[in-house]
Amino acid sequence: MLQPIWGDLAIPFTLLVAWMLGELGHRHLAVPRITSYGVVGIGIAVIMNVSKTLFQVDDLWSLTLLAQIAFGLLLFELGYRINLAWLRHNPWLALNALVEFIATFVVVFYVAKLFDLLPVPALLLASLAVATSPLTILPVVNEMKSGGQVTERTLHLSAINCVLAIVAFNTVVGYWVLSSAGDTFQAVWNSLIVLFVSAGLGVLFGVILPRLLDLADTNEKQSTVAFALAVIGLILVTHSLHFSPILATLVFGLIARHHRNVRHQAQPNFGVLGDVLVIVLFVHIGSRLQGDTLFEGALLAGAVVLTRFAVKSMAVLAFARMSGLSLRKGLLTGIALMPMASFGILLLELSAQRGLLFPETLATMCGLLLLVDLASPVILRRTLMVAGEAPKAH
Amino acid sequence: MPLQHFSSSKPLSMGVELELQLVDPHSLDLTGAASDLLHLLERKPFPGDVKPEMTESMIEISTDVQENYDGLLAQLREIRDALVAAGDKLNVRLAGGGTHAFQHWSEQAIVKKPRYQQLSELYGYLAKQFTVFGQHVHIGCESANSALFLLHSLNRYLPHFIALSASSPYFQGEDTLFDSARLNSVFAFPLSGRAPFVLDWEMFENGYFRKMEATGVVSSMKDFYWDIRPKPEFGTIELRVCDTPLTVERAAALACYLQALCSYLLTCSDPAPSEDDYLVYNFNRFQACRFGLDGIIVDPRTNKNLPLREDILQTLDKVQIHAGRLGSRPALDEIRRILAEGNHASYLRQQFSQCRNVKGVVDAAIDAFRGKP
Repeated sequence: MLQPIWGDLAIPFTLLVAWMLGELGHRHLAVPRITSYGVVGIGIAVIMNVSKTLFQVDDLWSLTLLAQIAFGLLLFELGYRINLAWLRHNPWLALNALVEFIATFVVVFYVAKLFDLLPVPALLLASLAVATSPLTILPVVNEMKSGGQVTERTLHLSAINCVLAIVAFNTVVGYWVLSSAGDTFQAVWNSLIVLFVSAGLGVLFGVILPRLLDLADTNEKQSTVAFALAVIGLILVTHSLHFSPILATLVFGLIARHHRNVRHQAQPNFGVLGDVLVIVLFVHIGSRLQGDTLFEGALLAGAVVLTRFAVKSMAVLAFARMSGLSLRKGLLTGIALMPMASFGILLLELSAQRGLLFPETLATMCGLLLLVDLASPVILRRTLMVAGEAPKAH
Repeated sequence: MPLQHFSSSKPLSMGVELELQLVDPHSLDLTGAASDLLHLLERKPFPGDVKPEMTESMIEISTDVQENYDGLLAQLREIRDALVAAGDKLNVRLAGGGTHAFQHWSEQAIVKKPRYQQLSELYGYLAKQFTVFGQHVHIGCESANSALFLLHSLNRYLPHFIALSASSPYFQGEDTLFDSARLNSVFAFPLSGRAPFVLDWEMFENGYFRKMEATGVVSSMKDFYWDIRPKPEFGTIELRVCDTPLTVERAAALACYLQALCSYLLTCSDPAPSEDDYLVYNFNRFQACRFGLDGIIVDPRTNKNLPLREDILQTLDKVQIHAGRLGSRPALDEIRRILAEGNHASYLRQQFSQCRNVKGVVDAAIDAFRGKP
């Protein structure tokens, strides 16, 4: 009798607990809210591992769709904040991003090879390691209302390396399909076509929506509603056509920003909608942790975290002075670029929904990195405070 | 601390200080970028001086001592170009304007300098509310007494500078219906307003200043937020009522109008200043703040009402010859253009009526500062 009722209430109840813990942790321990949400999600994963009755995989489906919408909204917002003209005015920053991408990819690939990973999983892991997770960065930046060079550069570098990570990831997938199935059409479809069509859809939405808003002459609040609906629509379209919602929403944001009219700007964080969906997102990400094989790759995960941090920090430091940054803030930017796993987990999940069967090692690795990543919002918060960019947080 | 000796400086030489807004290009809100920008600017010679101000989202620039319009404008343009280039490198925008149209005062962070931290403790929210942006103009004076003479002779003309420079109609996201809402923030400070009517420096120093110092309320001239105050260490008087205009061209024109007016006043063609001139001082000041060039002022000598625009036009005729001699005639042409086309407060209101969003007002201010109105 109780089971069916609990089945319906399990997810809403968990989300409520996550929200409460998020508030308490934030108020009393100054822990960023998303860390608490992630911990609750991991709690679900642990419970599911122990008892299959309390949470069932079917219950989590609603969470997955909402989480993917939250992911899309965050990626859109990231794209919407990016000023591509900055890269033209400060080409050292663009070079910084490129060097950071190449160095991280190459070094993480060789580290993975050192740990006897096969070439394809090693290449996929290297692609995932390139990305700095905007899912961690944006909520913390919004929560702290931070602003300054560390914040701006972290956001811009995160956007660039996410795009590069998706390109690298899909290219590796194409190579993998070609080498395993020998099917050139499938290989090209899974890499180039997916990338081009996804980006193309993002461009299309980014050009059309601002025009429509001009015609409708909406206010800021109504524009935000329209942007949110468009992001949801784009996710559903790319989903059903098996393209990349990640690339599409990010490109949508980038293009919409450059066609924007200040009158029809989307509100930061999509207002309260963003706050609600971030809870769903992080509970979902936490719940993806897979317990059975967790500690198998602990050493490799540790090595990836350290080398990735070292390479990214060195890249930012190398270009700090030339791009107009102090070495101190360069180092702080390097630290702020650490969050990674939440993006990797969702990239794998969304790609798996396209029918790709990834090696088990990859999901395990992301799970491990997620555990490390739980600390990253706390580190990011501290970093932004040390940088003096979040005066209200003191 | 005794009052500093009044250094003599070349009469009618001038210098300009501008407080500028640092704006985030995405949100168009103020952004705490002063430290990052100053760090970048330190690396190569700056065509003037630049320093932090009360909050992290403002900086103050100043020119060298200049003598005419061309020199002043050239340096202001060089400073503007250096700032814009540094801002572009850091993804920060700069803007003029007496207020930011929609920033919220409580979001501002006080710069970590002992003086600003002390002021913040003393004045509480007034210090953060002081995130307003003014233009200060220094005029060189041969002697301390001539500085006091000019200071008090200028009281009648103060509304001209308020109305001509006014560029702060919006505050905290609303149209205040004032052309210069900025001065309302300044007026909240206990030591703001007018200077005491003393024309002799020795009396000012040994009488007024010593007494004030003994009360413990002030320790230097910096503690007075008067509309015009003497600056003994520079040998100047400093006019502080102007909003920072949206363009450096207007800033240069205002400074040169003041220079020409001081030149005229030194000929003693106007009646000598008196305490009674101040009977209408606050009323005239209010008219200029509230209605800008459409304000009606009262002449303290004749008690007649006078449209401010007309009073400025008459004054321009009186100082024309002085401007010609000082090489500042183009500045007066710019002042006439303001009278014909409206001040920057009306320009910002036009921008709002076009896009119906205060963000559009900030966007327009950024473009105007870059020189693409």
